[in-house]
Amino acid sequence: MSALLDVQDVHTFIGQFHILEGVSLRVEEGQITALLGRNGAGKTTTLRTIMGMTPPARGAIFFDGRPIHGLPTYEVAQLGIGYVPDYRAIFRHLTVEENLHLAERRKGDLKRKADFIYHLFPDLARLRHLKGGQLSGGQQQMLAIARVLVPDNRLLLIDEPTEGLAPVLVEQLVEAIRQLREQTTVLLVEQNFAVARHLADTFVIVDDGRTVCQGTMEELANDPATVHRYLGVAVGGEA
Amino acid sequence: MRRYRAVLIALAIAVVGIGLVGRSMKPGTLVATLLSGLTLGALYFLIAAGLSLIFGLMDVLNFAHGTLFMLGAYVAWTWVQNPHGLLLWAGLVLAVAGGSATAAWWLNWSPDRRPGRWTRRWLVAVGVALIGVTAWQWLRWPQALTLLLAAGGGLAVGLGAFRPPVVRPPHRRLVWRGVAVVGLLLVTVLLDAQGPTLASAVAGWGSNAKFVSAIVVGTLAGAVAGALMEWSLIRPLYERPIYQVLLTLGIVFAGNEVARAIWGVGAKRMEKPGWFGQPCRSESLAAWVYEQCASVTVLGRSFPTYRLFVIVLGVLLFVALIVLLRRSRLGMIIRAGVQDREMVEALGINVRQVFTLVFALGAGLAALGGVAAAPFVGVYPEMGLEYMLQAFIVVVIGGMGSVPGAALGALLVGLARAFGDYIVLSGVSLPWMEKAVRMSPSIARASTVLIMAIVLMVRPAGLFGEEE
Ligand SMILES: Nc1ncnc2c1ncn2[C@@H]1O[C@H](COP(=O)(O)OP(=O)(O)O)[C@@H](O)[C@H]1O
Ligand SMILES: [Mg+2]
Repeated sequence: MSALLDVQDVHTFIGQFHILEGVSLRVEEGQITALLGRNGAGKTTTLRTIMGMTPPARGAIFFDGRPIHGLPTYEVAQLGIGYVPDYRAIFRHLTVEENLHLAERRKGDLKRKADFIYHLFPDLARLRHLKGGQLSGGQQQMLAIARVLVPDNRLLLIDEPTEGLAPVLVEQLVEAIRQLREQTTVLLVEQNFAVARHLADTFVIVDDGRTVCQGTMEELANDPATVHRYLGVAVGGEA
Repeated sequence: MRRYRAVLIALAIAVVGIGLVGRSMKPGTLVATLLSGLTLGALYFLIAAGLSLIFGLMDVLNFAHGTLFMLGAYVAWTWVQNPHGLLLWAGLVLAVAGGSATAAWWLNWSPDRRPGRWTRRWLVAVGVALIGVTAWQWLRWPQALTLLLAAGGGLAVGLGAFRPPVVRPPHRRLVWRGVAVVGLLLVTVLLDAQGPTLASAVAGWGSNAKFVSAIVVGTLAGAVAGALMEWSLIRPLYERPIYQVLLTLGIVFAGNEVARAIWGVGAKRMEKPGWFGQPCRSESLAAWVYEQCASVTVLGRSFPTYRLFVIVLGVLLFVALIVLLRRSRLGMIIRAGVQDREMVEALGINVRQVFTLVFALGAGLAALGGVAAAPFVGVYPEMGLEYMLQAFIVVVIGGMGSVPGAALGALLVGLARAFGDYIVLSGVSLPWMEKAVRMSPSIARASTVLIMAIVLMVRPAGLFGEEE
């Protein structure tokens, strides 16, 4: 079976720095894949490379069988990939609703998805007319995820959604992402190993800009040595 | 909250400045000077709005914006003086545009049939050559032939230079675009067949119809020139901002020389439209409606009605721009893009295309400003650079990327120029002085820089600017 996303030995430079030195990974349709690794391992750069923001110098990226390396970012997105970056990429001067409208790829996208989105994040319905800049960190994160749900995306790239959030919010967000599995495929960067273990079906670990291993989440949970070596945490971390 | 404070700062500067200078003025003179300031402010706003949006959205410091202001004025002047010549050349532009629009549509319709790499290079080379030869022999070779060659050149360049989209646009949209392209081609053919007739018709129009059509023609010319400039010169250099600055500066000087070569060195006079042109003075605006006098009495003093029109035009365009920014999808994209271009693109929006559109919009506004300015400042090659410098100060005062900021900045700078000019003529007396002190003309220019300095001390990013 061919994967929905297939990244093959990708090398990426930022300026003169060789940041990715051979990242390969496969994301199967309908699954949540966790992209793991320490700080500075190259996870964010991997997502940005897939999106065409830092295009790869070498290697290939296939989405649904077609090559997407070298395409401009907007066309990668139009093919059906949604990106939730690790910073709060909410448009501060646009209202919550405008932020969502902006993500429409066809007229009426938001109308069709509004029920689903506001059901998933009831807070957003209440805050619809507030400016993005007036939201709390957790609300902004929800809006960032809601935004990629507006068009019919087939793959979501989500970068550290729970970083810096209060435990209650983390729980809410995890629940929302779990519900997404029925809708789309997700490649999730997550520092909190407990969260990753709870959500993901499969994993990829990158270290120093290289893929070091890939497998099912179950295998990883049973391999405390690997977890400790590359992630620096104990497997039994609290949820 | 921040916004109110910005407005308060601007008000404070204006009140203190006007209070100091206007203390000794008669009420009529004060109001006339205020209105002069508003007139200048309206013109500065028309240039600065586009400048500010272009910088805020794409980080391009477009020195050539003043050149577009000048272009608008010259095109309007030519339209009024010699519609025949202008229409003949418009045929060339339209034919090339029609050809490349056809190419763009074709590539969208069947993206798989894009020519190969080397074919594309040949197509561009041949197309550019064709357009060049046609422009050279335009009006000499038979009209039908030049028309076909120009359209063919545009088609070839388009096929070679445009990239088909990866995702084919919805069918309905493509059909509509096809209709638009056919419309453009029809207009081109019609214009070429009926150009002389249309030209003599325009030559016979009254001054009002000429003026209104000149506004439309000048604005369109500016918008087209702006879009072309962005696409051909600025776009390849987004990765090299220094080169971009040098390039736009180069365009300013090249533009001046081209204007001199085509239209000559001296200043041209453009006639005011009849609505503001009767040689009389109305007692009130109500009376002006019937008399259409060139001036109107304001508190006992005479003031040109045309300048009042410029103020109204500035206000109308400000409102229109705000509505566009607040209510339309394009406006939403612009507001979002000023903050985070990359994220806008990650949502699937072709930001480069939006750049071209915004460039065209800003250029059109500047050209419109040029048309509006022409009847009272004249038309001359250096006008672009002159107004450009003031517009830059306006943008710095208002804050990059903010249209309300540009409006407020334009207001301050316009008033400063008007009151500065007054000081130069009459001298200034401060409360503790016995005799008025005469000032050199440079005080009017210096005053705007002084205001900029004050604003930047209080708000380093400008009145409506956001600190990074
Ligand atoms: N703009 C940049 N310039 C130079 N180095 C960078 C830049 N962005 C990221 N890096 C480096 O690339 C490496 C990978 O970064 P990143 O992909 O953000 O890691 P992660 O998301 O896994 O924490 C880090 O060592 C970081 O310092
Ligand atoms: Mg990261």
